[in-house]
Amino acid sequence: MTVFLASIGFGLVTAAVLAIASIGFTLQFGVTDVLNLAYGAIMIAGAFIAYVVNQAGLSVWVGLVAAVAACSLGSVLVNTGVYAPFQRRGTSPITMVIVSLGMTLIIEFGVAAVAGGTSVSYTMGQGQTYHFAGLILTTVQLVIIALSLVIMAGVHALLRYTKLGKAMRATAANRTLARNCGIRTSRVITVTWALTGGLCGLAGVVFAMDSGSFSATSTDIFLVLILAAVFLGGPGQAYGAMLGAAVIGIATEVSAAFIPADYKYVVAFVVLLVMLGVRPAGLLGARA
Amino acid sequence: MFYVINLLIYAAVDAMACLGLSQQFGVAGVTNFGFIIFQAAGGYTAAVLALPPKSANGGFQSYIGGWNLPFPLPWIGAAVVGGLIALPFTFLVGRRLRGDFAAVGLLVTAVLLNLLVTNYVPLFNGDAGLSLIPTPLRGGNVFSVQSTGYEWAFTVGALVLALLVYLFVRRVTESPYGRTLRAMRDNDAVADSLGKNLLSLRTGTLVLGGAIAGLSGGVLVSYITTWSPAAWGYAETVVLFAAVIIGGAGNHLGAVLGAVLVPVGFEEVTRFIPTSNNLPPNLVPSLEWVAIGLLIVIFLWVRPQGVLPERKRVITLPTARPPGDTARAPGAALVPAARTEPADPAGPAGPAGPVVLEAAGLVREFGGVRAVDGVSLAVRQGTLTGLIGPNGAGKSTLLALLAGTLPATAGKITYRGQDITGTPAFRRARLGLVRTFQLASEFKRLTVLENLLTAVPGQRGDSLRGAIAGKRYWRGDEAAAIARAQVILERFGLEPLANSYAGDLSGGQRRLVEIMRALMTEPTMLLLDEPMAGVHPNLARRIGRDLVALCQEGMTILMVEHELAIMDEFCDPVIVMAEGAVLAEGTMQQLRGRSEVVEAYLVG
Amino acid sequence: MSAELDLPGLPLRAENVTAGYGGDPVIRGITVGADPGQVVSLVGPNGSGKSTLLKSLVGIVRVSSGTVRVGERNVTNQAPEEIARAGVGYVPQVDDVFAPLTVRENLEMGGYLLRRAQVAGRIERVLTVFPRLGTMLGRAAGKISGGERKMLAMGRVLMLDPGVFLLDEPTANLAPKVAAELLDEHVRRLAASGAAVLIVEQRARAALAISDLTYVLGGGEVRMQGLPAELSATPDFIESFLGGARDRAVPSGDS
Repeated sequence: MTVFLASIGFGLVTAAVLAIASIGFTLQFGVTDVLNLAYGAIMIAGAFIAYVVNQAGLSVWVGLVAAVAACSLGSVLVNTGVYAPFQRRGTSPITMVIVSLGMTLIIEFGVAAVAGGTSVSYTMGQGQTYHFAGLILTTVQLVIIALSLVIMAGVHALLRYTKLGKAMRATAANRTLARNCGIRTSRVITVTWALTGGLCGLAGVVFAMDSGSFSATSTDIFLVLILAAVFLGGPGQAYGAMLGAAVIGIATEVSAAFIPADYKYVVAFVVLLVMLGVRPAGLLGARA
Repeated sequence: MFYVINLLIYAAVDAMACLGLSQQFGVAGVTNFGFIIFQAAGGYTAAVLALPPKSANGGFQSYIGGWNLPFPLPWIGAAVVGGLIALPFTFLVGRRLRGDFAAVGLLVTAVLLNLLVTNYVPLFNGDAGLSLIPTPLRGGNVFSVQSTGYEWAFTVGALVLALLVYLFVRRVTESPYGRTLRAMRDNDAVADSLGKNLLSLRTGTLVLGGAIAGLSGGVLVSYITTWSPAAWGYAETVVLFAAVIIGGAGNHLGAVLGAVLVPVGFEEVTRFIPTSNNLPPNLVPSLEWVAIGLLIVIFLWVRPQGVLPERKRVITLPTARPPGDTARAPGAALVPAARTEPADPAGPAGPAGPVVLEAAGLVREFGGVRAVDGVSLAVRQGTLTGLIGPNGAGKSTLLALLAGTLPATAGKITYRGQDITGTPAFRRARLGLVRTFQLASEFKRLTVLENLLTAVPGQRGDSLRGAIAGKRYWRGDEAAAIARAQVILERFGLEPLANSYAGDLSGGQRRLVEIMRALMTEPTMLLLDEPMAGVHPNLARRIGRDLVALCQEGMTILMVEHELAIMDEFCDPVIVMAEGAVLAEGTMQQLRGRSEVVEAYLVG
Repeated sequence: MSAELDLPGLPLRAENVTAGYGGDPVIRGITVGADPGQVVSLVGPNGSGKSTLLKSLVGIVRVSSGTVRVGERNVTNQAPEEIARAGVGYVPQVDDVFAPLTVRENLEMGGYLLRRAQVAGRIERVLTVFPRLGTMLGRAAGKISGGERKMLAMGRVLMLDPGVFLLDEPTANLAPKVAAELLDEHVRRLAASGAAVLIVEQRARAALAISDLTYVLGGGEVRMQGLPAELSATPDFIESFLGGARDRAVPSGDS
């Protein structure tokens, strides 16, 4: 039972990291229609930026801010410089995936080239350990969970209550009609990339915090978890990503209590393949 | 010396893998991001077939199999397993799943399998992988262990094998079957309507490519004598895709070139970069990957067709007739005489023949809406019958019901006395009832002539078996098809464009290709869905005259059109539909005088 | 129930417009216009290019030659969002609302270019024109009936107070009574309040009944034009629809 509860604790943290990451990914797809497989690479780039700041003597939380800013800018550049021109040309979705794979190689191994192949970790305290309801969580883990809740609330507020958020949803629903309303959709798209790029950087840093040690290729498997969460909830649906992250995050960790830990990600893989085969629009998406 | 041998063997292995991928991706349009799995499966199969039982090996590796089979059984096994592994993949690829989603699914499957193999040690020794794999024909009498002669023999063997794979793949692609694959790549919905079995085509492609990939894995494993999950991550799939894209997807020489440039080229280039202890140890490999990523993006932007783009298949037609003579050649009737009753030569206004197509009480209901609401009609042989009506009248739906593209909710359809209500579309086509489509449905990257040839059903060369059997097997059928295509091209005056890409033609010409393609199947009745849409009035009139001429030879045509001036000039009778039902029938002249027809159009 | 909408009308002029989707042009050399306070209808058989013309006026389809002017401004080939800013409101035939957004949010998007303070007041005004929308403000636009969706689409456009209204077959798929109400009440009222209205319609009779000027399109060109009453009395008018007539302008006192 304690193992089970402990795994729920891990699951909550994984779900929190996953939620931050998946919301960004799904919004990028929803508004731009690009499956940005380089998302994982940008995450780890953010993690390393925070590492560099951390190594320079500053707190890793300062590094987190730097990572958010850098990944936000970087994502805008990737879209404006690479994805958008290809899309304007009428490139097919499958070729866009190949382009994003190319970007993954460039970014991920660019980081590896600079940072080297060895695993590194942040210099940071884990804070106190808290026990409640059978769960055991450190301060850092609680902060991560709190961050994810703040983000979810923030995204909800953005999409429901702000003009920009509604313009994002409108652009995702019907881009031409949005333009007919006078919405400058290219600007909305750029802002979306800036916001979701920031989320990506944030996700990378908390991922690295949660993993303990990380290297340039650490997010390869994590990307699959993100895809599983996104497709479970429905690609483009922000609330779907939140739901998917919760399910996948907890299911993966809980399964580790029952099957050998190395196989815990299999759960995510299977969910993803089943969703693609049976209901690609996801649980919250409109039926095709 | 060893350097050259190494280079050549890797070139051979990569060339084989790229050929398999090019066949899937470039020719058939199946984007298989799980491709590396097939090579891995082949590698593991060859390994466990060649390895002695695990206890004999000191027991420090655990794996399944271990039957110590002699050469060439491990390689054959590798190819077979590579092909078989492909079968479960068809569930992701055969379905109508959005292209990029399917790609993600396949990519994820590759990562998943890598994960499983890495962790489940009893299978293939997990992370550590297999080693000490026996090389072919070694040990014992055949070759002595350290001879360079052996290395060279292996190299030659690998190269010969690569050449055989190249010839085999080319034989498959340059057949009618290969043409069908390319058609499926260009427009799978239309290929489907022509009666091509998409699932079987895609399965065949995956199995073929998988077998070739498996073989390449087997050869590689026999050479390097080890195999582990690190050798086949998804990064390796990306490299192969990069190779095929850069070399030229759809061109087999391009695939070979890509193999030489990318996997091999990169290996070699890094040899020349000076290593020093000041640089971080994995800097160069990382930069290699960055370079590959850059190459992919740059190539897709600048030259997406690759260094060696897909060649146009030019078919020289037998001696052309004197130019300007577009009249019907003697004896070259387009309407098969044996399947029709003799037509009345009195022209479009003459008495028409017996009823060819009859519908009784046809209803089509979907989602609570009755698009077709109790339609009964009869079309007589030798008539160019028009079908008109305002928007939403149900004309296109009616045509789809008659053609079999949509099933009827109620009612009966008879064709030449035979009840075809439950017959699927492509079988109706084989009976002689063929339809054309409203939207662009030519195969853009096939020539006009190839577009016509794809429509011929039941051609000998149009199956995998036929393709492998070779040109001598299907040459006769192909020649007959080409001859018929030539007659049709001449008839419509498009022979000069026979070897142009269909995608390069003007809108009106493409509509003609539609109609010509329908004629290839020797139909007795055509269902045309807005053949003149967007066509210049002069060309439209020419098409109209051609259609009338066909009817004079005994063809029956039912044509949906909006351009009512055309109806006026060429069609008799004309059927008017409104709100899912038949309103009236007669010549345009007569219909214009009837108030309910006028009202239907003006009320809308 | 009538509300006083005081819309700043702008004249719309399309001169010699040729446009298409890349290959051969779908419409050739079309010249049409609508003045403030006028309802101008574009009728004609299917495939005559009516929808394409409207799309080329709002920047969705590329104009290869000719000019489009709204008031003094040349808006040929400008981006749709800029043309919206020039005061052109467009209701497409399909995909005319943001399905996942609520009715209220759809209206808010219609008022995207307004200052924050103005939005609530405008929504109120639109609701007086389409009171039924007031009962479903929180419902997702994809879940309301066809007639209600059309009203929402028009309401969305009304939010911005456009000087020009372009409506693409607004009565398509509507029941006859709803269609009649839409045309007689709402479309006519838009013009009466000062805007220039250009409406594409399949239901030619109904469109003529509310128009001040009618153009008959066929085969991508203007076949006839003139006052509705005179047009429908002309024998060639029916011919245009059912095949036959070529370019004929019915002489009238108008331009």
